[in-house]
Parts: sequence; structure tokens; C-alpha cells
Amino acid sequence: MKKILVMTGEVLKNQAKGPVTKHVLKRLEENPAPEDIRTIPIIIEDRCILCGTCVAVCPTHCLEMEKDDKDNGMIIMHTPQCMWCGHCQTYCPKDAIHIDRNPATSVLFSYNVRQDYSILTAKGSFKGEKADKKIEEKVAKGGKKLEELEKFRSGK
Amino acid sequence: MVEETFRSRFRTEVDGSDAPPGADYHMFIGPQHPWCEEPAHFIIHLKGERVVEANIRIGFNFRGMEKAMEARTWRQNTMLIPRACGICSAVHQNIYVRVVERLAGIEDQISERARLIRMFSCEAERIHSHMLWYGILAHDAGFDTMLHISWRDREIIMDIVEDLSGNRVNPALMLPGGVKRDIPKEKADRTRPKINDLIKKVEYHKKVFVEEASIRNRLEDVGVLTKDDAKKTTPNGPTGRASGLPFDVRKASPYELYDQLDWNLVYYTEGDILATTLVRLDETLESLRMCNQILDKLETAEGELLARVRPRIPAGEYFGRGEAPRGEDVHYGIANGTDKPERYKIRAPSLGNIDATLKRMDGEYIADMPVVLRSYDPCFSCTNRVMIVNDTTGEKLIIGQDEFAHKAIKAKKYNRPFF
Amino acid sequence: MSNELKELEDILKITFSKDLVKEVKKVEEGHFDILTTPDKAYDLMKILTEEAGIYHLSTVTAVEREKEFNVFYHIQHRIEEEFREVPINFIVTGINKDKPKTPSLLDFFVAADYYERECYDFFGIYFENHPFMQRLILPEKWPDDVRPMLKEYGWEELKEITLGIAKQISEND
Ligand code: SF4
Ligand code: SF4
Repeated sequence: MKKILVMTGEVLKNQAKGPVTKHVLKRLEENPAPEDIRTIPIIIEDRCILCGTCVAVCPTHCLEMEKDDKDNGMIIMHTPQCMWCGHCQTYCPKDAIHIDRNPATSVLFSYNVRQDYSILTAKGSFKGEKADKKIEEKVAKGGKKLEELEKFRSGK
Repeated sequence: MVEETFRSRFRTEVDGSDAPPGADYHMFIGPQHPWCEEPAHFIIHLKGERVVEANIRIGFNFRGMEKAMEARTWRQNTMLIPRACGICSAVHQNIYVRVVERLAGIEDQISERARLIRMFSCEAERIHSHMLWYGILAHDAGFDTMLHISWRDREIIMDIVEDLSGNRVNPALMLPGGVKRDIPKEKADRTRPKINDLIKKVEYHKKVFVEEASIRNRLEDVGVLTKDDAKKTTPNGPTGRASGLPFDVRKASPYELYDQLDWNLVYYTEGDILATTLVRLDETLESLRMCNQILDKLETAEGELLARVRPRIPAGEYFGRGEAPRGEDVHYGIANGTDKPERYKIRAPSLGNIDATLKRMDGEYIADMPVVLRSYDPCFSCTNRVMIVNDTTGEKLIIGQDEFAHKAIKAKKYNRPFF
Repeated sequence: MSNELKELEDILKITFSKDLVKEVKKVEEGHFDILTTPDKAYDLMKILTEEAGIYHLSTVTAVEREKEFNVFYHIQHRIEEEFREVPINFIVTGINKDKPKTPSLLDFFVAADYYERECYDFFGIYFENHPFMQRLILPEKWPDDVRPMLKEYGWEELKEITLGIAKQISEND
């Protein structure tokens, strides 16, 4: 008997509250993502010396570097391939690359082709036009994934 | 000597010529089946309503990880190894880093603080894995209320993991030489009340499983695995502990600092599905208490978080073990002096448990099949939640998998951004 | 007689006849390696399981060395009163690389069935007297003579074989 009363109480309470899901957006605002949630990396440009450690340790090979010397060069990244592991952050000698500084960049996938590649840093002579051109080239080829797909379809 | 009746359940002929005599129906489950998220093929031979013999075929989700590891450096493999399993990722990583530390000979340089944080990560994982499991078990037994209750409460521990590591399911906190992130005091203070809250909730879950007749009758005396059978079929972890084999790697050969904590080994001797459930429920409670102890210890524990490890690991070999939520997890690593492993063998716990679980099926009703097969906790990944943040407006939106796929396809098709 | 062998004998409470064991190594406290050869492996395991009462097999690992194959049986000696386990690596050394053959220890562990088949699948090591020496994991269309874990096969080669199989299947459909 007591059980039934408790159950009835629960039912009435839930009836009054309405569906939980309608509060989802509100609850999201109340419980924001943690400050140091993992996201895609960003580079603090002044600190980076283009040593290439992050490119070497990245397990998914999503970073690419091109440089003339330590002041002229760029690092670009194939964004969907990054798994936010944070190796680049751990092994960077200058503490220049971070995966936990900007929760707003935690966009999981971006199916916009233009955004498949992003410039993490471009320094000196690589700034501006040259970096843009490089990305354009990559995009024109259709990105890494499309390249591989084509290769598979052609049977090579 | 093993008797003839105990042949392994992994032997199936494709043409069905190995069906046992007396069976008149043959049921095929998987590799794609709504009950079973895991790609495994179960073949169940029936006589009337009773199971005569259950067999399995595996190999539908083979990823070639051991070979892939030989082509990567030790450092890169630190992030490949947690991907061995969707849900017990921390313990795989824990064993891996211990193997590497042992091979590099820097075992004694790991600070107490780093070890405690590793243990916290492992225990938190055990809690959320067990809570997920008994939710699904209740769902398989037709008791969906429990599924919703336990999964709702599971969010508490998921939030803790997300807060501490930045990821929900795959904490990836460990590195050879230590850990990546600290647990600062504010976070520990934030975590403690949540854990105490969760202890009360899990105690309530246990009460439901023990007292609620509709679920208890579904689990009690179903699929009994006696101790003798268990010894022959070599189950590990909770499956073995429910049948009276009281072995837990954390007690049997303590790693990290498990010998300094105050905790009890949980084991039952009944061997039915209710016993496996209770083992996991009790273990969840033990783990929660351990988490509290670890947080207390962290207040005074000192030390560097990360010791330096050279990328080249000197030649040697080591056999590392650890207790995953599902059982004993075994790694064998061989280094040859370069920065890549010579050979790395992984044995995840579920493979060892399949034989024992299929042994449970003998003579049971077909209707108990989902519960019995679920009992060894076939593991699947639960990264079903996607959060999308529009970076220009800051608007947030949470959607399910289907809607996400739908939107993604549309966005790709018309070549426009997601929102 | 070495100290390690003595220590292990004390733990297991048995005595090995000397010619069966090639060497015993101590990895760390309560963790041993036992080395033996293919022709003696069966008899030695018989002593370990029947006299010392070992019943748990964690896994079987095959390793390709420069001149030979090794097969590791990772077994546990369990002391139930103390909730303690003594891991033992039972290593079968000196398996010929041209015709890899070693006795199957299926008689002592049911679990050896699929672990041994896994080694056969990936390394081509043939376990004698195993009643069901067939593939476990690799797909049915996989070429018989390709043992993917051997060092001679690189990542690219395997990728080509896999893609070839996928293509063949998609063409047949
Ligand atoms: S981000 Fe760090 S690791 Fe990467 S190139 Fe710059 S300084 Fe080197
Ligand atoms: S977070 Fe990991 S995957 Fe992403 S760029 Fe850094 S190292 Fe590579």
C-alpha cells in the first residue's frame, strides 16, 4: 500500500513537471562545458619557434609544417582528423600549442570543405597570401579524405 | 585432463555440419542484430525451448591494432592504445604506460600524486562502465525503468570524468612518466559531494535489484556457472568472481597504489546472473569509496606530475596486467632499443569470458538468452552525445545521433555550414 | 640448480625433473618466466597443471625473433586463501621458422583452443594435435599464405590485400 502511494506521488510530480527534454537548452546554459574541455589545438604565435615537435608526435598525422627558418613558416592542420589527444601540447618545448583554451572551438565536425584545413600559425613571409594559397591548393585537390577515396575507386 | 564435453565454443563450421545431435532449431544472432551492438555471430542450437549448445564466430570488427602499433612510435601509441576499447580506455592506457615505464626503467620516478590520479581515472571508469552495464541488463530483462534510472545517475560520474579530463568517455590522462593533468583542490572539492550523492543512488539501485521481484526473478538461478565449470572455462573479472573465483588483479598482484587503499574484494559463490549483477553493484560502491579515499590522499600527496621519458626505449620485454571493468586485461610488450615497439600484444578481457558465458546457456530457456549473453558485458562504445556550438553566435544545441547524421549529410550535399 | 628455480618450486610445491626446464627467470617479485623447448612443452605443462594445480590461462602470445618463433603461454598460479596470483610466462623457445610446429596444450586448457588458433592465424605456427586448427579472425577470402603479423609484410602491402578483397566483394555483388 505504501509503495502504491509513493508511486502515485512520483507520477503526479512528473506530470506537473512536464517533459525533461523541453528544458534542454536552458539546462545547457546552467551547466556549461568545463573550462578546460578538450578541443582542437590553437597556437600562440609569438611563442612558437616552428621546431616541428608537435608535427612529429601527432598520432593522427593531422599537422603539416612548412618553413624556411624559425621565423618564416606555417603549420596547417587537417581539422576533422584531430582527436584532441593533447600530445602536441604535452611535448611542445615552448608551451605554445594548447587544446584547452577555447571551448568555442569544440566543433566536432565541420563538413564545410573550406574548413577541412585550418591555419594554426603562419609567421613572417608565410603570413597572408602564401598561407591562403597553400590551403586553397589543398582544398582544390579535395582534401585528404577525397584524395584517398579517389585512389581507392580507381583501384590503384 | 579436459573432458570431451568441454570443447570450446569458438568452433563453428560455416555449413552447419557441427550441429549437436538432438537439436531441432538453429538460431542465428548477429553480426548485425538490434539486440547486440557488438559484431559477433552467435549460433544457438535449440531443442524445443531449451538451448542445447551455443556457439560463436568472431572477427567481424578486426582492426589490426597490434600491427599498427609496430608502425608507430611509443609516444604515438599512448594515444592509440585507449582506442582498443570504447569504454575501458583508461585501464588499457594504464597498463601500457606501466609496461613502458618498466621497460625504460623509470618505475621509481613516478610520483605518488601521479599514481593517485591514474587510479582515480581507472576507478571512475569502472563506476561508469558498471552503471551502464546493469542499466542495459535491466533493459534486456524487460525492466526499462531501471535503465533510465541508472543511466540518469550515470551522468553524475560522466560529469566528473569530463570535468577532470576534458573528455567524457576517453579520459586519456596518462603518459609514460606520469599524467597529463592535475586534479586541483577546487575540482576535488567540487567532486566530493557528487560522489557521496552517487553512493546513495547506487545503494538504491542495489536495493532495486535485490528487492524488486520482477527483476530478481528474471536473474536468480538463471545461467548458473558452477565453480568447477568456471575453473575449466577460465573466465576472469566479475564473471569469475560471481562463481567463487576470488581473483582481482588489484588484490592478486597490486599495481599503482592499490595496496595502500582500504577496500574489500567482492565475490559471490552462487554463479547465477544475479550474482554477477551483485558483484558489479558492490564493486561500484567499493570504487566510489576508493575515489573518496583517493581524493583525501591527494590533499597531501606531492610530486612532479610528469617524469621525463626518452623516446627510445631500451630493449626488453614485460608482461603487464590490470583489472579492467570486465576483467583481467593483459599486455605483453617487447622493445628493441628504437622508438618503435618490436611487438605489442593486447588481450582484452571479453575474449576470455565468452567461453564461460556460452557454457551458462546450456539447458536454459531461449527467453533468457539476452540476459545470459549480456552477463559478460560485451563492450560497446557510447559516444552518442554530440554537442554543436555555433562559433559566430555562441548558440548551443544538443542533438542525437540520427539527427546529427541527417544534418551532416545535408550540409555535405549542399556544401553549406552545419547550422 | 639456480635460485630462481628453487623459489618457483617452493611456491608451486612441486619438483621439476631437471631436463624438462631449460631455464627459469625471475621478472620481479612473484612473477616468473619458464623457458622450454617444443618437444618438452607438453610434459612440463602436464606437471604444472596436474601436480601444481594451475588452471588459468590468460593468453597465448606468439613472437617472431630473428631466427625462431617463441610462443608464450601466460598462465597464473592461483592461491585462493590469500587471493593471490603468481603470473608465470611459459615460453616455448626454438620453434623452427621454416616449418613452425609446436605441440598444442589444448588438453590442459579449453581456452588454449582459440588463443592458439589466433597464433596460427597471424603467424602460421602450427599446433600439433589440435583437432580444429582453423582460422579464427581473418576473413574467409584472405589468402592462405599471408600471415599478416610477420615482419616481412609491411603496412602498405596488407592495405593492398585488404582493399583487393573489398573490391572483389563489391564487384561480385
Ligand atoms: S607549437 Fe610548439 S612544438 Fe609545435 S612547432 Fe611550435 S614550438 Fe614546436
Ligand atoms: S591534439 Fe593530438 S591529434 Fe590533435 S593535433 Fe594535437 S597531437 Fe595531433
